[in-house]
Amino acid sequence: MATDTTNTTKQKEKPPKPRYNMWQSSWYMIRLAIREKEKKVLILCTLTALLAVASNLANLSITPVILGAVENHSPLSTLLLLIGGFVALTMLLSAAASYVSTNILYGKITVRTAIITKLNTKMAATSYPNISDEKFLKMRGKASDSISCNSAAAEAVWDTLTRLLENVLGFLIYLALLSSVNPLLILVITATSLLGYFINKPLSEYGYRHREEEGLLTGTLFYYSSCAESSHMAKDIRLFGMRPWLEELYAKTWSAYQMFQRKAQNVYIWGRIADLVLAFLRNGFVYAYLIYLMLNGNMSVSLFLLYFTAAGNFSGWVSGILGTLLTLYQQGLEISNVRECLEYPEPFLFKEGAPLEPDIHRPYEIRLEDVSFRYPNTEKDTLSHISLTLHPGEKLAVVGLNGAGKTTLIKLLCGFLDPTEGRVLLDGRDIREYNRRDYYRLFAAVFQDFSVLATTIAANVAQREEDIDMPLVKDCIAKAGLTEKIESLPEQYEEKLCRDVYEDAVMLSGGETQRLMLARALYKKAPFVMLDEPTAALDPIAEADLYSKYHEMTAGRSSVYISHRLASTRFCDRIILIENGIIAEEGTHEGLLAKNGRYAELFEVQSKYYKKDSTNGANENSADSTNEPPNENDAFHEDNILPETKALPKSKTLPDTNALPERKEDTAE
Amino acid sequence: MKLKKKKELMSWKETWNTNKRLLQLLYTQRPKMLGICILMDIWNALTPYVGIYLSALIIEELAGSRNPDTLLRLVLTTLFSAALIALAGAFLNRLQAVENAGFYYYSRKLLDDKLMDMDFCILDETETNSALTTILQNQGGGGWGMGRAFNLINDLISSLFSLFGGIALTVTLFTSRVPDSAGNMTFLNSPLFLLPLLAVMLAVIYLAPALSNKSDSYYAFNSGTHNLANRLFSHFGFLGYQNQLAADMRMYRQDIICEKYNSDKTSTFSSKGPFAGLARGPMGLYAAASAAVSGILTGVIYVFVCLKAWAGAFGIGMMTQYIGAITRFATGLSSLISVTGQIRINSTFLKQIFDFLDHPNIMYQGSLTIEKRNDRQYEIEFRDVSFRYPGSEQYALRHVNMKFRVGQRLAVVGPNGSGKTTFIKLLCRLYDPTEGTILLNGFDIRKYDYREYLSIFSVVFQDFALTDMPLGENVAAAGTYNRELAQSCLIKAGFESRLKELPKGMDTYLKKTLDEDGVDMSGGESQKIALARALYKDSPFIVLDEPTTALDPIAEAEIYSKFNEIIEDKTAIYISHRLSSCKFCDEILVFDKGGVVQQGSHEALVSDAAGKYHALWYAQAQYYAESNAAG
Repeated sequence: MATDTTNTTKQKEKPPKPRYNMWQSSWYMIRLAIREKEKKVLILCTLTALLAVASNLANLSITPVILGAVENHSPLSTLLLLIGGFVALTMLLSAAASYVSTNILYGKITVRTAIITKLNTKMAATSYPNISDEKFLKMRGKASDSISCNSAAAEAVWDTLTRLLENVLGFLIYLALLSSVNPLLILVITATSLLGYFINKPLSEYGYRHREEEGLLTGTLFYYSSCAESSHMAKDIRLFGMRPWLEELYAKTWSAYQMFQRKAQNVYIWGRIADLVLAFLRNGFVYAYLIYLMLNGNMSVSLFLLYFTAAGNFSGWVSGILGTLLTLYQQGLEISNVRECLEYPEPFLFKEGAPLEPDIHRPYEIRLEDVSFRYPNTEKDTLSHISLTLHPGEKLAVVGLNGAGKTTLIKLLCGFLDPTEGRVLLDGRDIREYNRRDYYRLFAAVFQDFSVLATTIAANVAQREEDIDMPLVKDCIAKAGLTEKIESLPEQYEEKLCRDVYEDAVMLSGGETQRLMLARALYKKAPFVMLDEPTAALDPIAEADLYSKYHEMTAGRSSVYISHRLASTRFCDRIILIENGIIAEEGTHEGLLAKNGRYAELFEVQSKYYKKDSTNGANENSADSTNEPPNENDAFHEDNILPETKALPKSKTLPDTNALPERKEDTAE
Repeated sequence: MKLKKKKELMSWKETWNTNKRLLQLLYTQRPKMLGICILMDIWNALTPYVGIYLSALIIEELAGSRNPDTLLRLVLTTLFSAALIALAGAFLNRLQAVENAGFYYYSRKLLDDKLMDMDFCILDETETNSALTTILQNQGGGGWGMGRAFNLINDLISSLFSLFGGIALTVTLFTSRVPDSAGNMTFLNSPLFLLPLLAVMLAVIYLAPALSNKSDSYYAFNSGTHNLANRLFSHFGFLGYQNQLAADMRMYRQDIICEKYNSDKTSTFSSKGPFAGLARGPMGLYAAASAAVSGILTGVIYVFVCLKAWAGAFGIGMMTQYIGAITRFATGLSSLISVTGQIRINSTFLKQIFDFLDHPNIMYQGSLTIEKRNDRQYEIEFRDVSFRYPGSEQYALRHVNMKFRVGQRLAVVGPNGSGKTTFIKLLCRLYDPTEGTILLNGFDIRKYDYREYLSIFSVVFQDFALTDMPLGENVAAAGTYNRELAQSCLIKAGFESRLKELPKGMDTYLKKTLDEDGVDMSGGESQKIALARALYKDSPFIVLDEPTTALDPIAEAEIYSKFNEIIEDKTAIYISHRLSSCKFCDEILVFDKGGVVQQGSHEALVSDAAGKYHALWYAQAQYYAESNAAG
């Protein structure tokens, strides 16, 4: 099963053409802001741009104007008035800009959150086969990068649009201002700026082009940190002396990282050198031309200063426009990918499908009709031509070795996968015709992996935070055998789970979590119960207890039960053994044993350890009574207990019995 | 959460000491980076004054005699000096960018090194983990921490040098006198006039950053809320991406509850949340006031310079120079104050890091070497050992007495939470006993050199961890290793058929984190690799903490039947829930509620109908009871 692919994978082929161009992507964001009732983002962005241009103009004119007043020796009052006016204007503009910039963040975050919400909902609800579709996963990985932080495309695009607006406005105003001097001036400045841009573009994109190379290096550095910071790895790092090995990886990666930075900087520096040469030429030309005007005309010093500053700023607007367009293009790609991800086709029917209203009192029958299933890009069917009927109220056990296809079978029954051939029928109707989400309501399941939510215990049982049926929650918790534990907690059912989120969350043990999941399944009151090997990590008594709880819980309902421990499924009405993609054997536990086939063989392997004599091929020491027919299961023959000296040859090392706590004591639970 | 209580700022003295310590650290560990960064700060602070000075000369010339030759010379000087400054700046920048790149990873490595050095028992404490999480979240969420501290120090140096440059270019502003012809404007010459001017400047300069820091502090002092919000966000915002939870999420429609959390507009950062409210109110107003106040400063400077120029103290060229220089000076001064304020706020976070780095280890470090005995005769004894996890009231182990020696097969069984894994942790000295002693060959294990002591144990924990590095390296837990040996260990662990399928064999990366051709291993396959790693280590003691839960019965049977043969004369300690695996052990320890309640052979224990072992055994054996009829 493919796992999360947030890590960047190298793209050898050219990336596919995006479905939406940067203007469509920008328009999408604007529409989204309006739809999410966050119009203030648009207003505040526009204000930011306007204020920036206004403040730029004020700064441009303040020195020349005042200089002019002093140069012409205007009356003192005029001078003070001018200064006062400018200062008031600057103060107003910068106060407004600062207020706007403090406030703009939240709307932007809210719009990005809207995208995060849409994406997460898509991911959590998309047709199950999509989550193992390589193409979808790749898009998903990229999309999650585009929304991950404030500087990611889904939020940073607002800055880009703001700067674009600001630069375009500034450009237009300065164009009008400078064209009054000489269009040639504009031409020269524009030309040097364009030249600078086109020299710098390929250079500055070095990092972007090599982002995967860099990503692998920083990813490895992060990996080192994740090992060092993982409390899970700490034991093994110490016991196996893994530190030098990890340090070696870090040192190797660190020097490669520095090498990479050096290479990148060696490229970037040419851009800076080009810029300074062009600035030299541009300023030289501007100086020459303006001084020429001054010497041959009657331009004042203050006007000279104005034009000279304006010329510098104008070049900034030109490269600003080009630069923001480039950024917008890159962010547009990411936003387009997010949209394509959201619009990724759904092979299952949801709202368009036939509705289903689960009724726990009504008998349902699921039938697999000649079903085959093959995972994409594999050469062999995982399941082939399986016909199976799950009768109303029947308890079915599915057994088989690792990788035999047990879980695939469950996934077909639950409607997570659609068969490659054949049909899955609910009361005779192909489940593909139903609203798949309604179909899932028919099932309560305990899978091997379960998703514990960062919320209260009660909400985890009810899977909702409002309108929780508390008596039912308590009843389910009681049936799962967890009441004592939960009522011993200070907040009881309101205690939060998930330490990753709430630092004061309660930590439940593996067995307790299993029981909680059982309570959750009970609360759901679904006609079908699916259990996929939920007892692997439990001690024998807890395991036996859970088995009997499952038995109780499935009373009167249809259920499917997967287990490694063959005999634990004996309470089931029917057992099917999956091997090599087919149902190899089928019947009751007794029937299958009597048949003396594969099931009996597997059962033998497991049970030999539990037979009271030691017919255990693994241990020659104790195998002194092979194949002796075992007696009744309640007593152990004295004869079969090995002489103590034989079983414990190094009896010297035994602690003296005085030191041992009494064996007989403390057997009560 | 911790920070909430610590609302008051650090004292200036402590601020200074904390930051000095950072500088000392960098001076020892990264001297080149420190030097280049400081040089860059100074360069960037001073060079703009050259431009201001030269363009003032041009203006002066233009306003005055307008001599073309002088102008040409001045313009060329300006252009060339600008180009040279930019060129030198570009080279400095290149150096600085290379040196300073990855500062984040550097600072994180400091924490990681500490974690690697830390006693396991300290590392395992909840407080340690939450201190680390707080540090990382403050860094990730608010940008507080070491990286910020270093940037602020650079800003501080930069603003200091801006001040020096500004002063150098404005000395003449105060010394140049308004000519007596200016009449009553000569009051500008009085030094007394400078005092109120200075007072206004200082007031403004103090007020602006104070207001802005006030605005920023809303974030800093709510970093607890802030971090919780980020954690909730990364939980509910990305739950759907976890493929292994996909079935569960669909069956219980968890998309609904996620959507409820994610689309909550009153959540911490959303547009109707608490911070947005603060931004509309005090936070935004303080920021606005701060920005406005800075404008007053510019106004005062303009008034003073213009008055003097108007009165004829100096020409227009000098006027542009003074305005330019003082504006830069004022920016430098205001940044100086703002930076020191931020340094003070950030020092609380920097100190969290140093406190973490200073956390002392507590385990006694012995120096005894372990005899390399050819006969591998080791004997372990627990003498009245009790243990309580730090911060816990309850004993996880109570009065454990036991003894065993090399070559035995020891099983440790008991219900969940009865102390089995704790027993192993004490044995491997991940923890030291609260009471009692553990002896190796008659000496307290604390007296041995820690590393050497660890070397006699190979452990496969239930939650064993492999790295994402190549398969062979994982088996050896090292970068360079004996390939044949590693391969044979993998084969012994039952990994042979899978190994043959791997195109890159021993060089196959596990997972795709470090290599895109990496291969994801199933739980059972990973367990086999972990077993191979334990075999490769070739220690006299091998401990298996439930190593077969992810294996199916056939694979389990294979492992067990082969294990005795595999481990030869080593001592094996098994922890298992599948009691069947204990049968062939020489000795079984039965744990219950933190104590050893039974010890003996399988046969002896199972026949004790009142014992715990009997109860555990029949809980499982019942499933196979009917095998008698069939077998």
